[in-house]
Amino acid sequence: MSNPESAELLPFIVYFCAVVLLVATMLILSWLLGQRRQNKSTNMPFESGVLSVGSSQIRLSVEFYLIAIFFVIFDLETVFIFAWAIAFFELGWYGFFAILVFILVLTVALIYEWRSGALDWGVKTRTGIGES
Amino acid sequence: MSVGATIVFSLVLLLAIVGGAAVLTWFERRLLGIWQDRYGPNRLGPFGILQVLADMLKLLTKHDWVPPFSDKVVFIFAPTAIVVAMMLGFAVVPFSPELYILDINIGLLFFLGMTSLAVYSVLLGGLASNNKYALLGGLRSAAQMVSYEVFMGLSLMGVVMLTGSFSLRDIVEAQRDGWYCIPQALGLYVFIIAGIAESHRLPFDLPEAEHELTAGFHTEYGGMKFTMFMLGEYCGLILLSCMITTLFFGGWLGPVLPPIVWFCLKTFFFICFFILLRAAIPRPRYDQLMSLGWKVMLPLTLINLVATGAIALWMQGA
Amino acid sequence: MQTAAAIKNNEMPDALLNQSGEALGVAQVTADHTPTYWVAAKDLHQVMRGLKPQFPMLYDLFGIDERHRTQRPGQPAADFSVVYHLLSFTDKGDIRIKVALIEPGSVPTLVDLWPAANWYEREAWDMFGIIFDGHPNLRRILLPPLWEGHALRKEHPARATEMEPFAMSEELLDAEQEALLFKPEEWGMARESDETEFMFLNLGPNHPSVHGVFRIALQLDGEVVVDAVPDIGYHHRGAEKMGERQTWHSYIPYTDRIDYLGGVMNNLPYVMAIEQMAGIEVPDRAKVIRIMLSELFRISSHLVFYGTFAQDVGQMSPVFYMFADRERLFGIIEAITGGRMHPAWFRIGGVAQDLPVGWDRMVREFIDAMPARLDHYDKMAMQNSILKQRTVGIGKYNTREAIEWGVTGPGLRATGMEWDLRKARPYGGYDQFDFEVPTAQGGDCYDRAVVRIEEIRQSLKIIRQCVDNMPEGPYKSEHRLTTPPPKDRTLQDIETLIHHFLNVSWGPVIPAGESACMVEATKGLNSYHLVSDGGTTSYRTRIRTPSFPHLQMIPLISRGLMIPDLIAIIASIDFVMADVDR
Repeated sequence: MSNPESAELLPFIVYFCAVVLLVATMLILSWLLGQRRQNKSTNMPFESGVLSVGSSQIRLSVEFYLIAIFFVIFDLETVFIFAWAIAFFELGWYGFFAILVFILVLTVALIYEWRSGALDWGVKTRTGIGES
Repeated sequence: MSVGATIVFSLVLLLAIVGGAAVLTWFERRLLGIWQDRYGPNRLGPFGILQVLADMLKLLTKHDWVPPFSDKVVFIFAPTAIVVAMMLGFAVVPFSPELYILDINIGLLFFLGMTSLAVYSVLLGGLASNNKYALLGGLRSAAQMVSYEVFMGLSLMGVVMLTGSFSLRDIVEAQRDGWYCIPQALGLYVFIIAGIAESHRLPFDLPEAEHELTAGFHTEYGGMKFTMFMLGEYCGLILLSCMITTLFFGGWLGPVLPPIVWFCLKTFFFICFFILLRAAIPRPRYDQLMSLGWKVMLPLTLINLVATGAIALWMQGA
Repeated sequence: MQTAAAIKNNEMPDALLNQSGEALGVAQVTADHTPTYWVAAKDLHQVMRGLKPQFPMLYDLFGIDERHRTQRPGQPAADFSVVYHLLSFTDKGDIRIKVALIEPGSVPTLVDLWPAANWYEREAWDMFGIIFDGHPNLRRILLPPLWEGHALRKEHPARATEMEPFAMSEELLDAEQEALLFKPEEWGMARESDETEFMFLNLGPNHPSVHGVFRIALQLDGEVVVDAVPDIGYHHRGAEKMGERQTWHSYIPYTDRIDYLGGVMNNLPYVMAIEQMAGIEVPDRAKVIRIMLSELFRISSHLVFYGTFAQDVGQMSPVFYMFADRERLFGIIEAITGGRMHPAWFRIGGVAQDLPVGWDRMVREFIDAMPARLDHYDKMAMQNSILKQRTVGIGKYNTREAIEWGVTGPGLRATGMEWDLRKARPYGGYDQFDFEVPTAQGGDCYDRAVVRIEEIRQSLKIIRQCVDNMPEGPYKSEHRLTTPPPKDRTLQDIETLIHHFLNVSWGPVIPAGESACMVEATKGLNSYHLVSDGGTTSYRTRIRTPSFPHLQMIPLISRGLMIPDLIAIIASIDFVMADVDR
């Protein structure tokens, strides 16, 4: 521990170990102290008190993956903004306009997604309403 | 502060967080009770505070059940992940000029990283349960937290720009001339919204949404593993309040009283704010929450960034 | 009193005449003066189609086991009869059509005319084994799927002592659970489409937001409801069967528990139906007391609705305020009746007791304080933008659909139809009161709440008029069938003493006949159709509750929406399962 950097890290390592220890203790204690009960329906999944039909491991609509894709896109882009933010004053107006262009591109992408309806999740109205 | 003292502090801090989260469960119920014309737990000990102990004993002696139909390893891992992530998040919080565990120059990024890990916890818990309500909860949490993740980080960039550092101590020090809640009001607003969404508490408790999904992602959880989700949630609440204090309200800064007292007072204020928010506001629908995120919050953060940059540079030049 | 001869053929609606002008129906006289005609099963469909333009709502449909009935003068021979009650919203009143069945008979289904007939016909099959030809899915609805026999037939015992003690063995439990398993194919649902695999989710019977034990089997694409099948019967207690074994008087407490939030409001149609048959005129004071208590219970029920409505869209606090108000209200109810939720306080011919000294002060305090509190709640809940986003435009239906599906009460008025039974056909003294009928135009979840909240204010107005103008006089009729009869004169002459003794020990003997009485209950139109065979008990007690058809409509208004919307819809319907399952 001669290296000053690792010396600074030491409290964190201790803290980290303590956290893990705490979590482990909680799990083990409850395993030791917990009651054991077993009846007919203990090992059934909860579905409002009746038997479940079909599996819960199913194919899902594409909407959910779209969100994931958006996230990947936008979260990666934000990394560049992070880098700019930290050096904001050094980069001055030059950096500002550079990132402005970047943000505009992002905004255009957002507008495109918006317009293409990819941001409208399940906004549907009931089907088959009659006339009065 | 010497390394030895910091180690002692880290252990004390851990106990304080766990204890704080435990007391918070009681405090929240009492505060909600006052708000809602009722008592809340008031029987055990003075003001009912021993309810915390009773709850703890009860939860410890519950059946430590792992559903046979679940993905067992992930099922157990999920709740531990949120506790560990949230607890580690505290490592970078400067409670006073001397009291902190880790002062790294990327403190803010570390905090953001830890809160992102919490997403996995909820998502994996929901998917591993192999229960339909849990699956729906897991899907909601993935979509919601991932969306709010994007601009939670961005909303803080205004603060980073003004300070020129990711170090939380630097950020606090930079607020000696004025708290960032004024120049970064927009960022604060977005951060609070994103923070609630990330900590999935009412009004944004959609992954849980007991009125819709019974218990959402933790439908199959009970006993200690359920407790850990709750512990994670309450730790998240405290951490969020700590971060708001640090980033926008001058952290430990304040006259007369010692820095740590100022820090705790400010944090406590925000904890109460979040509890009362829970009492007041209904829950939006999942797609409404997502629309709010992408269509309102994201543009707002971008505007905030550009405006902050322009104004700061202009004032510096002037 | 009308006689059968007095109802001439030319008074019959045109729909009941065939091309050559001959009557298709045989008239029957009932104590409630609702035109009632017996029609042959083969003519039923034609007659109903003809009647529908004038009588657009299929208000009720039920069976009667006629085999043990002794007094049915002038009525066609029948083992069973099916009764159709149609409602008009004009001054035409109602019409009742009956079909006589000789076992094993069947009648044509009316599902193609009224979608609301679906559940009613299933219920009649469930309870009597009456077959409806052409019904799309004639299966049990109230009784468990493995039940054997038909519970409302006279041969089925009405008392637990007449049958083997019930035991739920492990095997039976397994079999029952297995029978409850939702099979999508039985309802014509596909397990997957080209794009996605559907998830089938049991929302209920054990779920926080289904207001009791109620299951909706959902076909989901992600969170979007593709289709839904409501499954009821978990709360069925055989209330109609119990009516056939309790005396007229001792059945009153059972009625309280039908719409268990409505308290004495449930007593009202029951005792009024008996009073019609017995020819009892209720004194004014009793009428006003009844109205006042009924309206207090309307407020109580609407407060529960208000609170749970906000809670189901995720607002945590309002329900506590509203329950606190309800506690204050129950304080008044308790001071007056001695009971709180289920006072069972109305009696045949009046009410149980006179009002206690000082009652008016309590009521006044309450009605003075409420408007300000309602304003406060309005700000807190109804004007909240998230609550509006969650409920405006959600669960919409229009007036035509409401009528087709048998929707009554606030759910009907929220579609813009200003029709309240208290105004349209005042009963029990409502014609003496000044109040408005609140309506809304959208027919969505939000509007249903708006109508109910305004109704609270109107009820306060009615109650204030009751307090200001409470008439003096007896609280119970002098009629000999009043139950329990007034006791003052029993110690003076032996005749009164004998009547009193018999009426109290056996219960009153209500003259043979039929009568139905409907009231604008807390959740919609509630009515009791009673058949007396001249005994101390009812021969047939039919309870038409508003919540039953309302639930049937859930799939129609929730398709294409998401689970949270469905929860908002459920909350906005305002039902209790006891009111559905009876």
